[in-house]
Amino acid sequence: MSASSGEPGVARTDGREELRERVRSDEVAPDDARVVLRGGPDTLSLLRSHARRVNRLFVLDGDEVWAISVLVALDEVGARSADSLLRSKLRSYDVVYRSTVSQLLTAGFSLLPTFTRPHYSVVLPELSATPALLEALGALVENPYALPQGG
Amino acid sequence: MIAIDIPADLNAEDETGFVWTFLDEAPDPAAIRPGELVIAGSELTPAVCEVVDLVEKPVGTVVHLRVLPGSISQYRRLLDRIGA
Repeated sequence: MSASSGEPGVARTDGREELRERVRSDEVAPDDARVVLRGGPDTLSLLRSHARRVNRLFVLDGDEVWAISVLVALDEVGARSADSLLRSKLRSYDVVYRSTVSQLLTAGFSLLPTFTRPHYSVVLPELSATPALLEALGALVENPYALPQGG
Repeated sequence: MIAIDIPADLNAEDETGFVWTFLDEAPDPAAIRPGELVIAGSELTPAVCEVVDLVEKPVGTVVHLRVLPGSISQYRRLLDRIGA
């Protein structure tokens, strides 16, 4: 269902922003085998909350959009490698979901390269797809570089 | 259980490179002010964050957060050590 007046190209009136304008248009699609990381753990309720937050702020091509954020390890080494992401952006997480581009695409989700590298938005076909999304996010594994929590 | 000052997906960054969420999700929005340190995330994934700024948007006020180094436990130990 369109979030706009229903006519392509017609400005929306509900105040939401166009996520397509945040897509990195020059980004080459990542290989299917690339690792996808997301700090966890999540619950179905949390995933729905996160996806609703995106829906509140954005539309995609004028339509409703529900999405969550992930990081794709775009390089084998360097700042955008899986190892580096676990040490930096994901260091506040004891555990992370580890999947691949292929796993998410096969499960019916699309990946949009949004905002700054290596951030991607996993777009849900519907909000009710959160159980399938949680499964597609893959195994919850320990982050060996997590900040110490004990004590 | 840790009380969350403002719910957020700490994975979710926008073009600023900061985590973003909505101010009206905070139990006490008045406590969310630029420069303040808050606990953000979820009960499962809390983190100490600095409030960077508040941005008025038609759909609500967006809060940008910088996730700070150090776990909550580390901050707690620090405060215990210095007697604060």
